[in-house]
Order: sequence, then C-alpha cells, then structure tokens
Amino acid sequence: MTPDIAAILALDGIATGAIYVLMALGFVLIFAVTRVVFVPFGDIAAFTALTLAALELGRLPGTVGLVIGLAVLATLMELYSILRAGSYERIPRALLFYLVLPVAIAGLVWITSGTLWPMPFRIALALLLILPVAPLLDRIVYRPIADASVLLLLTVSVALHFALVGLGLLFFGPDGARTESLTDAMFMLGNIPISGQTILIVVAAAIFCGLLYLFFDFTLLGKALHATALNRTGARLMGIRPERSGTIAYLAGSVLAGVSGILIAPVNTIFYDSGFLLGLKAFVGAIIGGLISFPVTAIGSIFVGLLESFASFQSSAFKEVIVFSVLIPVLLWRSYTFQHTEEDMDE
Amino acid sequence: MSRLQLRLVAIAAVLLVAAAPLFLDPFSVTLANYIGIYALVALGLVLITGVGGMVSFGQASFMGIAAYSTAWASALMDYSPWFGLLLALVLTGLVATILGAVTLRLQGHFLSLSTIAWGLAIYFLFGNVDGLGHFNGIPSIPPITIGSFALISSERIYYLIWAVLIAAMLLSHNLLNSREGRAMRALRGGDAMVESVGVNAFRIKLITFVISALLAALSGWLYAHMGRFVSPTPFDVTRGIEYLMMAMVGGSGYLLGAVVGAALITLLKDWVQDFLPLVAPNAAGQLEIVVFSALFILFLQYARDGIVPFVAKFLPQVRRERPRAVEPLPRRTQPEPGQTLLKVDNAKRAFGGLMAVNDVSFEVRSGEILGLIGPNGAGKSTMFNLITGALPATGGKVVFTSSDITNEPQRLIARAGVARTFQHVKLRPKMTLLDNVLLGTYARTQSGFFKGALGLDRAEEEQARHEAMMQLERVGLGDRPFELAGNLPLGNQRILEIARALAADPILLVLDEPAAGLRRQEKLALAKLLRSLRDDENLTILLVEHDMEFVMGLVNRIVVMEFGSKISEGEPSTVRNDARVQEAYLGGVA
Amino acid sequence: MRKLALAMSALAGLSLAATAAYADIKVGFVTSLSGAGASIGIPYSEGIKAAYEFQSEVGGEKIQLIQLDDGSDPSAATRAARKLVEEEGVDLLIGTATAPSTIAMIAVANELKVPMIAVSPINVAPAEGGERWGIAVPQTPQLMVKVIADHMKKEGVKSVGFIGYSDAWGDFVYNGAKDAEAEGGPKVTTNERYARTDTSVTGQVLKVIATQPDAFINGGSGTQGALPLLELRKRGFTGDFYGTPSLLNADFIRVGGKAAEGVEVSAGPVIVTDQLPDGHFAKEIGLKFHEAYKKVNGKDVADGFSGYSFDGWLIFLNAAETALEKAEPGTPEFRMALNDAIFSTKELAGVHAVYNFTPESSYGVDERSLVIVKLVDGKWVYQPESN
Repeated sequence: MTPDIAAILALDGIATGAIYVLMALGFVLIFAVTRVVFVPFGDIAAFTALTLAALELGRLPGTVGLVIGLAVLATLMELYSILRAGSYERIPRALLFYLVLPVAIAGLVWITSGTLWPMPFRIALALLLILPVAPLLDRIVYRPIADASVLLLLTVSVALHFALVGLGLLFFGPDGARTESLTDAMFMLGNIPISGQTILIVVAAAIFCGLLYLFFDFTLLGKALHATALNRTGARLMGIRPERSGTIAYLAGSVLAGVSGILIAPVNTIFYDSGFLLGLKAFVGAIIGGLISFPVTAIGSIFVGLLESFASFQSSAFKEVIVFSVLIPVLLWRSYTFQHTEEDMDE
Repeated sequence: MSRLQLRLVAIAAVLLVAAAPLFLDPFSVTLANYIGIYALVALGLVLITGVGGMVSFGQASFMGIAAYSTAWASALMDYSPWFGLLLALVLTGLVATILGAVTLRLQGHFLSLSTIAWGLAIYFLFGNVDGLGHFNGIPSIPPITIGSFALISSERIYYLIWAVLIAAMLLSHNLLNSREGRAMRALRGGDAMVESVGVNAFRIKLITFVISALLAALSGWLYAHMGRFVSPTPFDVTRGIEYLMMAMVGGSGYLLGAVVGAALITLLKDWVQDFLPLVAPNAAGQLEIVVFSALFILFLQYARDGIVPFVAKFLPQVRRERPRAVEPLPRRTQPEPGQTLLKVDNAKRAFGGLMAVNDVSFEVRSGEILGLIGPNGAGKSTMFNLITGALPATGGKVVFTSSDITNEPQRLIARAGVARTFQHVKLRPKMTLLDNVLLGTYARTQSGFFKGALGLDRAEEEQARHEAMMQLERVGLGDRPFELAGNLPLGNQRILEIARALAADPILLVLDEPAAGLRRQEKLALAKLLRSLRDDENLTILLVEHDMEFVMGLVNRIVVMEFGSKISEGEPSTVRNDARVQEAYLGGVA
Repeated sequence: MRKLALAMSALAGLSLAATAAYADIKVGFVTSLSGAGASIGIPYSEGIKAAYEFQSEVGGEKIQLIQLDDGSDPSAATRAARKLVEEEGVDLLIGTATAPSTIAMIAVANELKVPMIAVSPINVAPAEGGERWGIAVPQTPQLMVKVIADHMKKEGVKSVGFIGYSDAWGDFVYNGAKDAEAEGGPKVTTNERYARTDTSVTGQVLKVIATQPDAFINGGSGTQGALPLLELRKRGFTGDFYGTPSLLNADFIRVGGKAAEGVEVSAGPVIVTDQLPDGHFAKEIGLKFHEAYKKVNGKDVADGFSGYSFDGWLIFLNAAETALEKAEPGTPEFRMALNDAIFSTKELAGVHAVYNFTPESSYGVDERSLVIVKLVDGKWVYQPESN
C-alpha cells in the first residue's frame, strides 16, 4: 500500500464514516430517550434516498402511500385510546398531528409529482415526506409497550425492520437507485483527488453534530430530552411527558436518517433493503459510544468507516467479518467500563 | 392432576407423534420435519434466553457450523454422516466455548448485540472460506443411514428428527429440575445471589450457552441431511432472529414453548403463503414478510409471555408432592463455642478518594451473635461486602476459620461456610419457595449436568429437597412450599432468604439488615428464630443492622461504626453508655 | 399437561394441509419475490407470466401454473418445492432466482422424481442412482465468460481486472474468467469482492488499478454492477469494460451513466431481438415473447432473466406434447415421460438459445446463445461478430 492509496482510502473511509456518524447519532438519540434500539433507522435512510430518486425521475415516490397508511393507522390507534380514556379535548390535537400534517405533506408531494423541481426543493420535499415516518411508527409500534424491557423493545425493532423491508419492496420495487451528484466539484490535495461530494458529506455531518450539541445544551426542549434520557420517572415528575420527548427524539432521528440518506444517495446505489447493513455498521459506532456518549459515538463511527475502507482494500471478501468481529472487543471494553446495575436484568 | 396422569398424557403425546406419518399427507410430514428441526434450535433458545436470561440472536450460526461440518465431512470427504455428527458437535462446542468465554461476561443488551456481531461474522465466513463451496454452497450431501437403511424420504427422517427432539426435551426437563438446572434458572436476575450460594455463575452461563449451541448443532446436522444441501443463507442472523421469535411466541420460559412456537410459526408461514395470493395476487411475496412481522409485533404487544403459559392457565394444575423424609444431607460439625471464627484485621476500602471502610478490626467468636451497627453511611454494608467477598478490599485482611479469605471470590467464601442474606431481598420471584431454598443446598451437593440430565441424581435430590423442606418448616414457611416466592410479602421474603442461607449448612450466618421493613410481630419472631439458631445449634451469626432496639435485645456483642471507622465495641450495655456512640446516633446533642 | 396442548395444536395445524386433486397439467414455479434475489426474481416472474400468456395449454390439456415465493432463501425454496410436489402434485418444477435456492430445489426434484427446469445458471447434480431430473436453461457462466473472453482476446486484451459480488454469482464469473485464462484468454489480475449493499468499492478499485490490467470484467449484476465502473472511471482507469448478461437491466444504464458507456457484454439475443438479422433463430420467437411480455406486464423487456423463464416454458411445452402421448398428467409415469422428453429436446429455438439436451447432460446451449452487445448512447447495440 502506497501513501497515496492510504490517503485515498482514508478519505473514502472518513466520508463513509461521516454518514455512519449521522446515523449513529440518531441511534444514540433515540435509544437515550426511549430505550429503543431503533433497528429500522437504516431503512428510513434508504427510503429517503429512494424517495429522492423517485422525485428526480418525476415519479410518485412510494413513501406517499407509506406515510398515508401509517398516518391513518396511528390516528385510529390514538383516537381509540383517547375515546377509552374519555379525554375528548385531545381529539383535535391528535387529528392535527397524526392525520392532517402527515397527509398534508404526502398530498403536497402527490399533487406536485410529475413536475421536476430544482434539486434543493426535491431534497426538501424528500426530507419533509420522510419526517413523519419514525414518529408514526413510534405511535403504532412502541407506544403500547413503552414500559417493556430493552430486550423486548429490541426484538420488536427487529420485527419492525422486517416489516419495513417488505413494505419497501412493495412501494419502491426491487431495483436500486442512485441520485444525481449534489456537486461535481473536484479538488486536488497534492496527488490526491478529493470530490466535492466527500467534502459535502463531512461538512454536513459536522454541522448536524454541532446542531445536536447546541440543541441539547442550550434549548429547554433539548434539556427536557436529556432529562428523560437520564431518568424517565424523574422527568415525568418534573412535568416532562416521556411520550412527547419520544416523539421529538424520533423527529430529530428522522432528520438525521433523512440527511444521511440524501448524502449517501449520490455516492451509492440504494436498494429497498440497503438500510440494514448501513444501519448495523453505524450501530457499531453507536455501541462504541456505549449508546450514551455523542462524541465517542462520532469517533467510533469514523473508525468503522476507516476500518471498512482499509479492510476492503486488504481483503474485500472478509470485510464484513472484520467489521463485525471488531464489535466484540469493543463490547467487552464497553461492558467493563460501563456501570451497570444488577436490577437491570430483572424481568 | 397427578403425576401418573401427567405421564400418561405425555406417553399419549409421544405415541401420537409416532403415529402421525400414518395419517398425515406427505407435505404435512415435511412440515413436521421442519417444525422438529426448528424446535431443536428454539429449545436451545429457551434454555439460554428464557431460562438463563441471555438473549442470543446468533443460534443460526451454530446451526450453520454444524451443517457445514457434516456437509464437508460427508459430501466432500466421503465420511459417514455419523462422523459428520461427531465433527459437528465437537466443532460447534469448541466455537461456542470460545465465543462464550469471550462474550458471556457482557451484561444485558450488550451480550445480545454481541451475538448479532459474531452471528454476522460467522455467516460471512461460510461464504468466503475456501473449500466450503463459497456462496454456492455444498450440494449432494448423502442421507443419514442406519445400518443399510437410508433415511432418504420425509417419512423416514421424520422419526429421527422427532426422536432427537423428544430426547432433547426429556433431558432438558430433567436438567432444569436438577441441582445445576436450578442454578441455570436462578441466573436470570443477576449473579450476586447465585454466587452467594457457592455457584460459579460464569461456569453455569458458559455451560448453558454451549448446551444451547449443541442443540442448534443437532438441528443443523439434521437440516443438512434432510435438505441434502447447505449454503450460507439459512444461517444468517435474520434466521437466528426468526428462531428467537419462535421461542418467544411459544413461551421462552417453557420447554414446550419451543415446539409450540416452531409449529405455530412454520404453519402460519405456510398459511400466509397460501392465503395472501388470494387477497393480493400481485404483491403476495412482498406482503408475506410484512404480514408476518406485523403479527409478531402485535403478539409481543399483547401476549409477551408466549402461548404456553397462556394455555396452561386453563389446564388443570399438576399436584406436586411434598418432599419425603429421607436420610438428611451430611452436616458440618460446628466449632466449639468461644473460638475466633472470623477475624477482620485493619480492613480498608476506598471508593475513589472516599474511605468507606478505614482500618476496621474486629472478630466474631463462634456461638455468638455479633451486631454491626452504625448510622446511615457508616460503612456497615461495605464492611459486609468485604467479608462476603462481594467487594475487593483496598487493604487489610479477613481471616475465616484460620484461612485467609481476603479478596477470595464470593462463591469460595460461601463454600467455606459463610452464608448471607441481602439488604435488598434477592430471591427468584418466579421460582417456588422450595426451589429458592434448594438453591442454598448447591454447595452441599455434587450432581453435575450429566447426572442431572440423565436423572441419575434422584437420591441426592431427594435428600436436598428434604433438607430444604426442613429449613422452610423451621422458619415457619412450611405450609405452602410450592407457592411462588414473588407472591410472599416482604417480611416473609426476608425469612425465606434466611431459610436459603440455612440450607447451605453454614458456620457463619451473615445477615444484612434482616429486620428492615418488618412489622413488630415479625421482628419478634425473627429474633426468636435467630436466638434458637444460636442456642440450639451453636450457629454463629453476624448481623448488620440499623434497628437498635432489635439488636440490643438479641446480640452478645456489638461493633459500632461511623464514617468508615470503628468507634466502639463491646456488650450491648457497655456500648449503649459509650458517649461516642450516643453522639453518633443523636448527632452530638448529648 | 402441556404436552397434550402441543400435540393438539400440531395436529390441528397439520391436518389443514389437504391433499390435492389431480386434474390438468400442473406446473410449479418458484421465484424470489422478496429478499436479496428479488431484483432478479421479479423479472423471472414477469417472464413466466408472459410465457403463460403466450401459451397456456398443450395438446388440448389446460396448464395450471402455481407460483410461490422463496424469499431468496434456500430452505424456503426447498419447502416451496416440496409443497408444490407433495401438496399440489405438480408435474414439473421451474425455479428460481438465486443459485443456492435452485440447487436446493434440484435436491427435492431428485428425491421426489419430478422434472425440474432451472432458470438460474447452476451445476445440476444428478440423483443418487445417477439419473437426472433437472436441466438448466441459462448459458453456463463459463460460457458467458468464455464468449466475452474470446471477444476480449480478439480485441487484443492481455490482462483483465476482476471485481464481483461476494456471493454465488461473483464466484461463477471469477471461476469462468479463470477457466478462460487457462485456455489462453486474458490473465485475471485480481479477485476483489463487494456486497450488494456496500457503500463503496474504493479499496477494491485501487487494487485493480494497482495491477494495471488492460481491461476490467465485472462480476456484479444489475444496478449495483455499475458501482465498480463508476469508481474505476473516477479513479482514472481508462481500460475497456466487459461484463456478463447479469448487468443488463434498465437501472444499470441509468445509474452507470457516462461511466458505463461503451461497456461490452455477452448477452442472450433476447436483449436485442429487434436488431437481429431476419432469419436469426431468436428473431421470430423473440418478437412473440416481447409482445406477450408487454401485454401482461405493461412495459418492454429490459433484462435477460425474463427470457429464461420463457425459454423454460418453451422446453416444457415441447416435452409435454410428447409426454402426453405416453401417460396421464399427475402420475409418476407422466413425470417420467416428461423428464425423458425434456432430456431429448432437439434444436428447439428459444429467445436466448437453441436448446439440445441429451440424457447425459443438463446443459443444452452452445455459443449461438450469446451475442456481444455494447452500450452506446444508453442503448444496447448488437455487435455482429465476424467469425
């Protein structure tokens, strides 16, 4: 391996790693607030990419049907629980958030489909459309079992991932898609070419890390989320509703998933089922951060990207073996440094 | 329903299984074969996940290691499938032992996530290791032959699959009701309690893990010779997750849950495959997985424990017989009263910069009740943990019956004759009173996994049950030995912990705040019990307590701690009049 | 007590599987409508629909076609095949999208003595007794690679880099290329792999470039097959690109864009039916296929996979006519006769190839089954060879 090759591999690894960073931060955010290991995270990123690709071709993205279906289901569930509780005054609000807003977005995309918007509009539309998916899934799937053990929630997540992959195939078809480059710029750093796309990915990741940091440290909402993450009961006593924190975490997670999907779409062909492995690798990064620490998660994700990049050069067939085997020592290290309470294990 | 009736039902069920191919059509037999093969893997998951509390997503890769071993041996090297079985078991056992040794110290969901990691890694190995057919797999695997009889058709291999499954279920059933099996069942809920009765929790976890891997290996061996072809896909992590679903749907806490879950999911899949094209002719394939996952999510939302416990509620309960009186387990001879039994010498323990225990020395003499008291935060519990080995000491020495036990593992201290209870009661709420107390006899009995599984431990088991029953009766809980421990009120749970400790036949009984949360009547009864243990059996008791009144009337001597140091020691009356003690308790007003 | 509950539930479930009544000729078709093989499996399904539209009866007997999904999983494929034979009583199996699943189905066909037409390129294993119950329709990967390798040799290519999928398909193409090398074809300089879900092949591409091959051969398939091409061009590789028919789908062209321009692949003539000279064996039947395909699927043929299903159907129709003279459908005798007839197929023109099977061989195609096509301005253009 020459230094040039190493540099190219490193750049490539950092770009991939930066995408993993965004996804891993989403994992950590959602896990910290809701204790859900949100396995379908990668699927949502992939769906964003496919949505954008469909918009680019002037087709109606399958996401529209998905969002409308989920919105109707979530609304029905919410209405049912409201009627049972007898708190009718919550109906208008529930209708607004679970039905009107998501369907309005889907409707907007529907009406405008066929028109080829400029790129920034397409991206905005794709992001808007993907935004309600995770919160709606939260309402439908996780809310009824919010008090369950982490393991049960994990198992449910895995099942949800399978369901989404099936829906993805149904709505997007089996073929992959790749979107137009966001930029064709090329820079030379000595002998090493750096594409504008790489820079864009890294910058976007950095910006979102910064935003997340600002959000948690400087806004009341962020602090409320943080409080819920640390202690659900405590937060509830302080008047913070965990359900609301959950919804916000899923919304923020959706943004991260959406952005990573949009960043990855031009550099890689995305299929309806691409999300799982992408998500799993990002997840390795999240675990390096112990599903708690945002900065360590970011470093860990970059590490995974680099590892993958160099492994694909050294021994491409065993790349996945290498990446996933690395998780075991990481987990061991994590488990020795992580303060656990025995009560955690009680069912 | 009596045991005899239960046996008859079981025998009828086995006969039914044996007769099934005579009245089932060929494809149903094929389905039954798949059910049997999947149930074996799910059975392993019941043991490791439902019983042992460790969720594994990676069982499919063990199945794969076995399937590939036998495929390599029989299809590529022309050995007999029976040699393939041997190779499959040895190789899977080896891999599981290594993986287990590395990962089983992980806690909770970290352990589960590691199973996803090595599950994926092993899956990719199948496709990339040279000589194993790569992603194309290994075709033309010969059938299993018994003598010259080849198990080629579905009907023939059916009997082998179900015989293996039924045997595995019987052995597992025996095991779970044996000494080591109880330790397995007690794993769920943390290591501290099992270690305190002398169990090497890590060893039990590892063996459970290997057993579950071997069950998957059996399944993989059968799978390879039934389908006559192996390739990487059926051993992917997603399949491992499916097996977990089977165990959970059936009821992961029950051996039968494995079979019920495997049957239900296999049949449901088949039904969904038939049914969906009728409603959605163009999207059937895609919808299959969606419908299936949705059903599973619904199931987890509304019936988390699985089907078996749900159905069992409507079935007659099996009457259980109280343990018979047999020759009791041998007892230790208690040391002569008045000797030094436990000597704590300048014990130190620091948490960061804070000295929780600072140079404390005292001794416990045989035949006495010693109270260790002090206000909140005095370091009593830390001292307690140093003695029982739950925490390593920063300095100093703890000597028990003239052997140095400083920093020994908890289970060895327990085996030396120190039995303890916990400040926050640590029982297994879903095990019966009798089973909870039986855990205490662990260090006094010997039967291992093999004896337990084969049922060769019955004599010893009778003795242990008799012993446990005696202890239950002695503490006054003998009227309902088959009640679940979780149904007892807190006071009785504390008493049950004492019965468990007594079942270990200790020399020194160490009780951590036994009177906390007890009502007055209960406290009196407890004091009476402790007194009788001392006076009638020469048992030595070390009591960490908060409640002065309870301690004063009961103990022979008292050691008082404050801010990590010993401030007073002596008989209750002396200590009561010690100015420093009064100051510590009354905050310096006196 | 719990054991009883088990037995009851097992019985209740099993007895649901009813025995089927035998009537028309029944054909069982297994494909991957979900899972990793879906992008190939769905075209297979579209192909069989076109075939059924083309002809749904033979010798006056109506044909019943039953399709099952295997989710790209060999054990599901095994189960589906058993279900089709044991429960539906089909006389013939056709399937499926991925090679491992197809091999698994062949094992069932051998055991239950049902003829099987494999639409994936696999090595068909004979049954215990040595008799054969399966044929493979597609060109063998060796042939696919050999034809393109011969073409490379003719164009003066001495060495070729390889990047392929880390799956069965990647193995096939690599082994084919190595075989061609052994027979004097271009030297294969690398054996690099990537997964269909990978985000980047930079590492692999750098390795290829480091060995400085004259050209590059692609062991990927479909859309994601474009990934190495894009990366190679991005990293400044100027050699020609070659590939196998598995690259042929609409999205490959769209995704590959400029980078894929000029790639040459060996392909079944079905891809360029309308460009074939009149009198070419695949012209007439090919046009019929395109017509039927468009009618049932509402779009044009854009891949080679659907053609394999169609050709499999043609082989079946041809054999069924002979077999019907000997036995009643739904009987073991009929299956035997059908199998014999399939294995004596002579000079049957399909949309991909002219098929000839003999009892000794499960492969029935020759070099006529592959033409060279080149991607010019986003369209596949037939390259007549001057042999």
